[in-house]
Amino acid sequence: LQIKTSEPGPPSAALTSLRSARFIDDINSVNYPANILSPNPALNPAATGKFKYPKDFLMQFKDVFTEKPSVDWDQKMRETVGEPDSARPQTAR
Amino acid sequence: TGEDGLGLPGYKEQLTVFHSADNFNVKHPLMNKWTLWYTKPPSPNKGENNWNDLLKEVVTFDSVEEFWGIYARFSCFRLTFANNIAKTSELGLKSDYHLFKTGVRPEWEDIQNKHGGKWAYQFKEKRSVPIDDLWLHVMLAAIGETLESDKDKEIMGVVVNVRKAFYRIGLWTKTTGGQKGTPKEAALMEIGKNFKEVLKLGDKEVVEFSGHTESAHSGQSRAKAKHVV
Repeated sequence: LQIKTSEPGPPSAALTSLRSARFIDDINSVNYPANILSPNPALNPAATGKFKYPKDFLMQFKDVFTEKPSVDWDQKMRETVGEPDSARPQTAR
Repeated sequence: TGEDGLGLPGYKEQLTVFHSADNFNVKHPLMNKWTLWYTKPPSPNKGENNWNDLLKEVVTFDSVEEFWGIYARFSCFRLTFANNIAKTSELGLKSDYHLFKTGVRPEWEDIQNKHGGKWAYQFKEKRSVPIDDLWLHVMLAAIGETLESDKDKEIMGVVVNVRKAFYRIGLWTKTTGGQKGTPKEAALMEIGKNFKEVLKLGDKEVVEFSGHTESAHSGQSRAKAKHVV
């Protein structure tokens, strides 16, 4: 067993928010900032707690939430997938 | 301020990730929980070429925010490489990425897939096809639940295969549709049409549906198509 020297740090503010946030239960009650396209109300006529989201709505999150889903993500990926994150543009070799 | 905009005592404004990425209090639930799986390419030098050893469960999520956090961090979501350094485009041949509803293994043998099949399309022009975008759009259509109507509950997952001669994107369903002219068949055809639209395919291109059983018996993953759209 190889002991990794890089310990995962404390969770970021974004990850803490993700963990403590509750699920929206009525999508039509959310006031999105003016520049954000709301999900199509026609897709979600009833406030059921389960929603459909069109692509254009989902794409808006792309560069907004980019946090690792867990603090031990990198280590977990090495264990399951077992290859370095070689595709990131900044790691040009 | 907006904090007590509604004037209700105890009312807490719903702050989304769009209000503040570091300080939000509500997140967007997905209709289903999803699990990402990855098939590692077989390595010729190791004895590890058993499908079960190569198929890895990566991560499970149930919110829109988590999906994008994973997408941003996990390069394996991307099938091609931003910096096309020599040979990197060859990386990952024979790998698959599977996004399935949690609890369903991305295999024919899973009891929930046993009577099912898949819509699939092969992109043979590997150099020119925007495969990363297409795969992303298929995943978004799956998790956003825009491929089928609520009552159908046909969709099990989506998959992309990276092969030497093509990329193939597939959509797995629980059944192979019913008899001709039945609502079940209509639902399956509707899913196929929606899938084709997400893939931005033209009228001349054909998306084929085949049952898993027939595929298994024919000994290859391309059996005779049962339906086409």
